[in-house]
Amino acid sequence: MSAVAVSPRGRRDLVDVLLRVWGILVYAFLFLPILVIVAYSFNNGRAMLVWSGVGLDGYRTGITDPTIQDAVKTSIVAASGTALIATVLGSFAGIALARRKGRWTVLFLALVFLVLVTPEIVDAIALLIWYVRIGGPFGPRMTIPAVSYGMLRLWAGHSLFATAVVTLIVRARLQGLDETLEEAAADLYAPPARRFRQITLPLMFPAVLAGGLLAFALSLDDTIISSFVSVAGASPWPVYVFSAVRNVLRPEIASVSTLLLMVTLIAIASVALALRRGGQSGEDVAKTMAGAG
Amino acid sequence: MAARDAEPERGARRIRAPRFTMALPAWIWFVFFFALPVLWIVYYSFGYKPDLYHPIATDKLSLEAYRQAISSAFLHVFSQTLQISILGTTLCFLIGFPFAYWLATRVAPRWRGVLLGLVIVPFFVNFLVRTIGWFILLSPNGPLSSLLQKIGVLSSPLHLLETRGAVQLGVVYNYLALMILPLFVTLDRLDPAMREASKDLGAGRWRTFRQVTLPLAAPGIVAGLLLVFIPLTGDYITALVLGGAKGNMAGVMVASQFTLAQNWALGSAQAVILVAMILGTVGVFAVIALVVRSLARASRKITLPPVAEGTA
Repeated sequence: MSAVAVSPRGRRDLVDVLLRVWGILVYAFLFLPILVIVAYSFNNGRAMLVWSGVGLDGYRTGITDPTIQDAVKTSIVAASGTALIATVLGSFAGIALARRKGRWTVLFLALVFLVLVTPEIVDAIALLIWYVRIGGPFGPRMTIPAVSYGMLRLWAGHSLFATAVVTLIVRARLQGLDETLEEAAADLYAPPARRFRQITLPLMFPAVLAGGLLAFALSLDDTIISSFVSVAGASPWPVYVFSAVRNVLRPEIASVSTLLLMVTLIAIASVALALRRGGQSGEDVAKTMAGAG
Repeated sequence: MAARDAEPERGARRIRAPRFTMALPAWIWFVFFFALPVLWIVYYSFGYKPDLYHPIATDKLSLEAYRQAISSAFLHVFSQTLQISILGTTLCFLIGFPFAYWLATRVAPRWRGVLLGLVIVPFFVNFLVRTIGWFILLSPNGPLSSLLQKIGVLSSPLHLLETRGAVQLGVVYNYLALMILPLFVTLDRLDPAMREASKDLGAGRWRTFRQVTLPLAAPGIVAGLLLVFIPLTGDYITALVLGGAKGNMAGVMVASQFTLAQNWALGSAQAVILVAMILGTVGVFAVIALVVRSLARASRKITLPPVAEGTA
């Protein structure tokens, strides 16, 4: 231990330099496959792995192919519904956990914990069997006009993990906030509904927004549950990619992925800007978006 | 699962709704789409495959599927899965900790938000597509292979795909962010004054790190380890895309009982074993961590008196 103190300045600089180099290496590692995907999105060949010249063929095919269009559309509808379900269910559960504690909280948290730790593949096979069993609106026989049963399956399946995540984020946010503000509103004769709308809701809004975004992202990213429960005609983008992995990888997969990344980044950037205008610092915004707020 | 236990207790006050009312929709949702389906899997795991054309029968219940699931061929996959996930979690920690430490303590605060955002950006690309990125990189006629051959490191095409090494690399990559984020959050919350105080009291850098930073970061470390280990053990996509036969993992094995073999009883039993394996490993490591912590505390108590050590 005494060796440490021999030359504090010199050592400090070395550690700093090493840490910085490590940081750069980790970023390189994180972005390497993404850069590969972006690069190969400009491959003009028919197969992704065979490079045959730079061009925009992949993008042209990707944008015009009706199957891909449907897959992306399904993904977006699935993600929107998931975000809505998870935000509503998770926000109320989070409020109850933070503000209405009781003996029930332990049981409920245990259930949330189980949802979070169960491997997705287990959820996927369990849901597949369950949907087949219960039928009803989740089976092919009964049809609800506006929504296909495939979409219902995706919404329910994707919203499980997402609801658990939103619940915990909202709970963490409200637990970190003093209840005195709500009590003060009550003392000033604000009825419960108004208290909720004017005090609780604005306070928890960053958490709800972050949770909703995460739910949307989780749903877009979900491959395992989707590939098990989705049905022909309502299969999302990852399932399309999944079948391509099994058959043949084409450059349009890289092209559409690149486009989706761009759209996501623009969406994230605008939400971050909106949050920043609302008075949060850059670090706060990043933390809120990372679900750590 | 538990919705009925609170009902009789709170019946006395009729004007107020029970305290869990607002959580009720989520509760019902979880029970109906999670608890019941998973319990159904447990039920099916006691069934059997009657013939070629039916995936499941439950007219007589037995442990036959479990006996099959721990037969040598499948047991090998379970143990390989555990090895991959323990090594993968360790690697994520070894890569993620210095990185999170650097981000939280060495980067100027105004850059931290941007740099943290950059960590998350790759994860906006679909999990599967990210893994395909590695598939292209590692493939025998991919860019890495031709680069290594051009500069003379390799004399023949790269043979990394369809090996355990490729799966190991893939899972470390796919779950690294789940390690970095909780580590960053706890390290970022640490008051720099704590470290300065430690230094002022004569502790060297290593000692400050070991006795101040590391214990205070423990909640983040535990969160990171769990967040990586649990999904990594159940991983399906990474092993499927990069693993081939040699890099098989339990998730792929479970899935194949439903997609190919159509043996739901065996698949269900394997799924139950997979979950038990995850919970069991977490339990074992939790016990080890508690023992190590109490030992460390006990040993530190003895070495406390000689204070004037690091003053040279």
